[in-house]
Amino acid sequence: MDNRDREILNEIQSGFPIAQRPYRELGKRLDLPEDEVFLRIRRLKEEGVIRRIGGNFHSKKLDYRSTLCAAKVPQKKLKRFVEVVNRYPGVTHNYLRNHEYNVWFTFIAPRIVTIESALKEISEITGIKDVHSLPAVRMFKIKVDFEV
Amino acid sequence: MDKKIIRLIQGDLPMELRPFKILADKLGISEEEFIRRVESLKDREVIRRFGATLRHQDAGFSANAMVAWIVPEDKIEEVGNAMAQFREVTHCYQRQSYKDWKYNLYTMVHGESEEQCYRIAERLSAETGMTDYVLLFSEKEFKKTSMEYF
Repeated sequence: MDNRDREILNEIQSGFPIAQRPYRELGKRLDLPEDEVFLRIRRLKEEGVIRRIGGNFHSKKLDYRSTLCAAKVPQKKLKRFVEVVNRYPGVTHNYLRNHEYNVWFTFIAPRIVTIESALKEISEITGIKDVHSLPAVRMFKIKVDFEV
Repeated sequence: MDKKIIRLIQGDLPMELRPFKILADKLGISEEEFIRRVESLKDREVIRRFGATLRHQDAGFSANAMVAWIVPEDKIEEVGNAMAQFREVTHCYQRQSYKDWKYNLYTMVHGESEEQCYRIAERLSAETGMTDYVLLFSEKEFKKTSMEYF
């Protein structure tokens, strides 16, 4: 990855042009020919630096609800618990963290009751009762661009 | 129509010189209309961000921690805003708390090492006077995907 790649990556994380010829547009901004911008981005995708190019949405504006859940899961039940939780398409992120509450996952669904009943179901299936749902009350900051 | 458009742009844009033309063709609308509608979704902030998602969003940062804080209810606005000012803080949310779970403010901090994350948390603490906190590092990723709406 060279400096040109970095410039491109810094530009397209939130500034990807919504235009007929987006790569020509980017080329104008970065002073590069359209085909060079296109080929570099294609390579960065092939190399796996770029996971995808597309829209990221405010789930609330789509009338979707979301929450962050923290669960206290003993080591011997961990594998099964993760398996059950990850089956739900609304679970988009799931991490093991260094805390008594060790499994942390996000859940997005069209209605809050869908999430609540899924969490009940998860508890019933796995026998894990200590699951806190921690929906956001207020957002102070969400930064989306990562300088490369 | 907006739902149909969202279904298409929540995936990966086709790697073509005129990607929106290809998506518009799938819906049987003109490229101009497709672009106009995407712009409008962005103006209405339904689209939070349109662009590339990097595999390692923390490229250049090698460690990140979620720091959970216990903040008195009447201070949360002041503290949340103060923490949001820090460059190393990428997310800052107030979240629901419970009798047996008192953490109510969550900041995602990024640093070059776990050690540095601790130091950032110390600075946040010194800046705001909040001393009740815990750093949660991710030890393993079980799942990471983008949401599929509709």
